[in-house]
Amino acid sequence: MIRSSVDRQPWGAILAFLLPAFTVYTAFTAYPVLRTFWNSFHKVLPRSEEFVGAENYAALAQDELFWRAVRNTFTWACVSPLAEVGIGLALAMALYARVPGMRFFRIAWFTPVLMSYVVVGIIWVWIYNYDWGAANALLRALGLGVLVQAWIGDPKLALPSLIFITTWMWSGFNMVVLLAALHSLPSEVVEAAELDNCGWGAKLWYVIVPLIKPTLLNLLVLSFIGKMKIFDLVWITTKGGPLWSTETVSTYVYKRAFEWTSFDLGYPSTIAAVWFVIVLSAVLTLTWLFRTRERLEY
Amino acid sequence: MGMLKHVLLAAALAFSVNASAQVKLTMWSHWAAEKIKRDYVEDAIKRFEAANPGVKIEAQWYEKTALYAALKTALRAGTAPDLFYAEPDQVEYMENGLLLDLSPLNWSAIEPWAKDIWSYKGKPYGMPLEAATVELYYNKKLLTDLGIKVPANLQLDAQGLTDLAKRARAKNITPMSLGVGDRPYPGAYLVHEALLKKLGIQEYDALLKGKLSWSDARVVETLRVVRSWTDAGLLPTTFTTLKLGEAHGYFHTNPGAVTMLVGSWYTSRAFNPPDKGGQPANFPLGIMKFPAMPGAACNECRTLSVGGSYVANAATKHPKQAIAFLNSFANPEAARRWLEGVLVQTGIKADYSKVSGPHAGYFRELGATSAGAKFYFGQPIQVMQGKPKEVFTQVFNNAFPAGTISVEEAVKQMNAAYGKH
Repeated sequence: MIRSSVDRQPWGAILAFLLPAFTVYTAFTAYPVLRTFWNSFHKVLPRSEEFVGAENYAALAQDELFWRAVRNTFTWACVSPLAEVGIGLALAMALYARVPGMRFFRIAWFTPVLMSYVVVGIIWVWIYNYDWGAANALLRALGLGVLVQAWIGDPKLALPSLIFITTWMWSGFNMVVLLAALHSLPSEVVEAAELDNCGWGAKLWYVIVPLIKPTLLNLLVLSFIGKMKIFDLVWITTKGGPLWSTETVSTYVYKRAFEWTSFDLGYPSTIAAVWFVIVLSAVLTLTWLFRTRERLEY
Repeated sequence: MGMLKHVLLAAALAFSVNASAQVKLTMWSHWAAEKIKRDYVEDAIKRFEAANPGVKIEAQWYEKTALYAALKTALRAGTAPDLFYAEPDQVEYMENGLLLDLSPLNWSAIEPWAKDIWSYKGKPYGMPLEAATVELYYNKKLLTDLGIKVPANLQLDAQGLTDLAKRARAKNITPMSLGVGDRPYPGAYLVHEALLKKLGIQEYDALLKGKLSWSDARVVETLRVVRSWTDAGLLPTTFTTLKLGEAHGYFHTNPGAVTMLVGSWYTSRAFNPPDKGGQPANFPLGIMKFPAMPGAACNECRTLSVGGSYVANAATKHPKQAIAFLNSFANPEAARRWLEGVLVQTGIKADYSKVSGPHAGYFRELGATSAGAKFYFGQPIQVMQGKPKEVFTQVFNNAFPAGTISVEEAVKQMNAAYGKH
């Protein structure tokens, strides 16, 4: 009798606690994902839905604009994390080493991440303005007028220019997270390295980086995922142009869903479904590659 | 009993008046930032409400991009307004049966070409309020300062535009204000007006519909002429990021350009007060024709497109009132008010010579550029669909006039878009 009363589960309470979260998750995450996959096999018009089998997938395989968007997005997602985390680590090290004015720099470097992509996009469109933008004004002031460019107007420069913006924006976030990781390092290990006359470079490479490796890897993966989904900045600055040089998968999905003269949601859903699988696979692969085989002990 | 009867009768009457006053039509429209057009439509609403006391129209004003995105979602969800702004290239509305058949309108008051543009499978679906030609506006003073005289026929030749560009650049002035930062079509004006003149209406139509190759020698020759203009520095250095509204200010105020190539709806922004983005008082505005092309089939040809129009939602619960409102535009008086207030052409039949008011002179000048003209109806992005439209926009609205893509590459991209290699 005693055993059965202890083992009896309070199902009512469990359900009461789980139901709200489960309902929200089902309605706003699971159902939309499943519906997107369903739509990808249909032609979805306002008043009709027609099963088209794998027709949308076959069309997508032949869609040059989609593959161009995939290339741009992968380029962004591979370059940005390395730049953001690398610069973030350098800035964190500078603050960790207590550079003069560190309080000011910590705030200044972190501030960009507090702004929305919309605000950042508008600011950088001004900065990149050919005639009076700060970037070209600086080059002219330095006597480097030959380097003045239409930064987001030239297909060769537009994507690197946008990657520069996200790097500027997110390096501060990486800096703050890495600074926290640096401050949590065991002081005896760092001091032991110093007693062994270990220089800054060696200390960073052989002591600090291995100790903060999990944080670095998490930041890389987070940045990668963020860039695989990037939309707002592109929409504000270039809308995917010029000549699709900054087209990302997200902007292409939006264009196909809302800007092309069609109401069909089937094809855009196919793009979204394929991209979901690609992003998920990439993240799982990265997680597998970066898995820590052995626990560090200190 | 008698008293009670009267009270009940009064209550019933009050209820019926109240019930008829309950008819509320919702309307979503572009032109949030174009005060002149908005004033015209708001005035039309007031007039309609005064003439139809039982109907109230509630208008919401948007910018075009936001409006289109909102409508796509709302139409799909069945929550779209009774009336909304649309343009004739949005064939997807008709294809999916989302618009009310407007056959009951007074079409005798509408230009036949405007009705044709809005017709789908034999039925008309849009009230073609705004029509526009592509105009080459210029600053008379700057042009005189450059030592350039507009010919009596108001049309420079292709070399004349190159000379204009070179002279202006020599004086550090931008020859032509044009920007594609927020619109998919202004940069393409240069190419499509030149091609229309070179090829003539039928061949040009065949080109846009994929029946004529973009490798055609006349097309290539025309693109080379356009390239010679842009190579001479015709466009602002900020061309790729300059927005349409900014391009207006760039032309008439700061820094000032010699010309501006834009739809004749230029006035809807430029004739606002200067503190609301309009051109300065006494701005020396002139209008000339797009330059003549060498060896052209039709130098008098030009594009006339129907722009801002109103349509009714097929799912409206008040189709009679919606049609009645749209019909309130279909008369010469509404057309005259549009011309005098908005100063842009309209698809409603109107006597342009009777336009009066402070801008009557402007209309005479505008009429002179169209004298003897042959019209092609619709801009390329209104005629093209799908991939050709997307490629045309990317190539000819932006990359080609910006000089970042060669003539050969542009031709190759367009042929590929039509599946021709």
